[in-house]
Amino acid sequence: MSKAHHTLEHRRKLTLFGLLLPPSAFLAVFFLGPLAIMIVYSWLTPGLYGGVEWKFFHLNYGRILGWADTKYERFDPVYFEIFLRSVKLAATTVLLSLILCYPVAFWVSRMPEKRKNLVIFLITLPFFISLIVRLFAWVLILRPTGFFNQALMGLGLIDEPLEIIFTGTAVVIGMVYVFVPFMFLPLYASIEKLDLSLIEASQDLGANRLQTFFRVILPMTLPGIVGGSIIVFIPSLGNFIVPSLLGGAKVVMIGNLIEQQFLSARNWPFGAALGMMVMAAVLVLLLYYIRIVTREDRRSGAAKVAEEVAA
Amino acid sequence: MQGILRIENASKSFQAPEGGVIRALDNVSLTVAHNEFLTLLGPSGCGKTTLLRAVSGFEDLDSGEIYIDGEPVSDQPAHKRPVNTVFQRYALFPHLTVERNVAYSLEVRGIAKTEIRERVGNMLELVGLAGMGARKIGQLSGGQQQRVALARSLVARPKILLLDEPLSALDKNLRHKMQQELKTLQHELGISFIFVTHDQEEALVMSDRIAVLNGGTIQQLDAPEELYRRPGNEFVARFIGESNLLDATVVSVEGESCDVVLADGTVIRDCPVNGLKRGDPAKVLIRPENLVESIGQSNPDERAGHQISGTVSQSFFAGTDYHLVLACKGLPPVRASLRAGPGTSHHTIGEQTSLFVPHDAVHLIPGQGAPA
Repeated sequence: MSKAHHTLEHRRKLTLFGLLLPPSAFLAVFFLGPLAIMIVYSWLTPGLYGGVEWKFFHLNYGRILGWADTKYERFDPVYFEIFLRSVKLAATTVLLSLILCYPVAFWVSRMPEKRKNLVIFLITLPFFISLIVRLFAWVLILRPTGFFNQALMGLGLIDEPLEIIFTGTAVVIGMVYVFVPFMFLPLYASIEKLDLSLIEASQDLGANRLQTFFRVILPMTLPGIVGGSIIVFIPSLGNFIVPSLLGGAKVVMIGNLIEQQFLSARNWPFGAALGMMVMAAVLVLLLYYIRIVTREDRRSGAAKVAEEVAA
Repeated sequence: MQGILRIENASKSFQAPEGGVIRALDNVSLTVAHNEFLTLLGPSGCGKTTLLRAVSGFEDLDSGEIYIDGEPVSDQPAHKRPVNTVFQRYALFPHLTVERNVAYSLEVRGIAKTEIRERVGNMLELVGLAGMGARKIGQLSGGQQQRVALARSLVARPKILLLDEPLSALDKNLRHKMQQELKTLQHELGISFIFVTHDQEEALVMSDRIAVLNGGTIQQLDAPEELYRRPGNEFVARFIGESNLLDATVVSVEGESCDVVLADGTVIRDCPVNGLKRGDPAKVLIRPENLVESIGQSNPDERAGHQISGTVSQSFFAGTDYHLVLACKGLPPVRASLRAGPGTSHHTIGEQTSLFVPHDAVHLIPGQGAPA
């Protein structure tokens, strides 16, 4: 009997291994490989006419973080400023899409099943159209003679068209537009799970709406808030399409800078070093998230054990 | 009667999902006394939960008014009403510890930390959870969660505690234990409890009075014994306890007692008249446990006609009792529970037997009764 168990176990392991092999191999070749190249390149000397020299070189990071002080490679605070500006833009995107999505997710979660599915479909609908096309649509909407300004002037609210296109505002609008579905879905998932009787219990115990929100609703939906925020923050930190299409050349973000280093300046090592910076920021954020999530897991794990003991 | 809770002509209708209107409450009036354990009993959809939610403030009435301690509360939102609820699935906050769950109603009222700690400690001790304060809700068994829910809704000393089928999720033994504990707790605290259940046995065990609801109206509001012995209509008779309801006609009335004849010709003499007149149709309620094999020679009920005869169609032994079903000519199947004592023996299926109906154990329900 123990032998049968052994072979069963063995076969299960084999199946699992077989199922996991293709995606693992794929990730290793197309994700870990390029990542390793980036890490190595970021510590190499940039060649004079593009390309790299295989010599250890720490000034790629020095230019960003402050110790480069040679004739060719100088520290310039502008890189750090761009990085901070990007962090600020990503944070603004997170915050605005959160404020936008939270009430909507509540509203949708209380809809009848059929309408719910329709609304979720509508929210994911933009994914079916190319991002570039959708962003050019925004150019048409926001430009001085575009729909937005025409409408406002038609209503007599403004006399002159507002300067929106190719400004930071346009970039923020575009970013929020692009990332709202990413915020909505995890938020919706956690709000939908929220047990309405908990809200009633809170009111029954004497808590007003505000107290109920901060003491019950917010903590219960926190995993969705944190999850959505991270899913929006990470890609918006590195996003370069929105700033280049809606921000004109005026708004440079870290994503644009990296793109330039690789494609126009042909300084791969420096571009790689900038990329590593972004990745470091993201990793810190992810570790924080994992800590929150595993804390939740440990709690529910203990709960399961207790239930089994009680039963 | 100026009780702690007075409900006057409460009506409430819902739009049914498949169209049409459901009358959840139809002109319900009810008064609950101070320190009373009142149960709202009825099948699902009878309006008992709607009535409870109207009192707690989660359901508006279409018409009528609710007074708590003399104050009309229709304008008060749920969080301002001096009542607390134990919810069916407890609705404990999973992100808070036992202690913080119990402290919730005190925290939102801004009561001092030291006082909260003291009151929560006392409350946890009262419900038998002393020392469990630091646990998470998920670490508790069903019975323990039940106690936390109870402690949480009692800690703010509400004027009325509402309980929405709180024992339905517990297994049988635990449920019986909690029934006794709840009753004791209510007695000790002196708070009025309004308890919603569909379990008639539970209602009988715990309540001072029971309001039987069906179709949005109160069918009868009485003490458990009264409800069981003298149900006001056929619905109550069928809903509470086991019952044999036999069609009969009143053949003679003499003061407070009357004689009735059953459909098969059996005559039962000297029944409590219950307002009936000669010739009136009635339902005769005979509880299965009141039928006996023999009453003794000297008893006047052993006269001819005072017995039901038939063929045993079902028979089984259930520890304290033998349960029989008797197929009689002209009557619906008659159920009987015979006390399993030294004198009684097992009846075999197909056997012919007669059971006596003691005249004082009979209750007459006027008319054909409401269709059940």
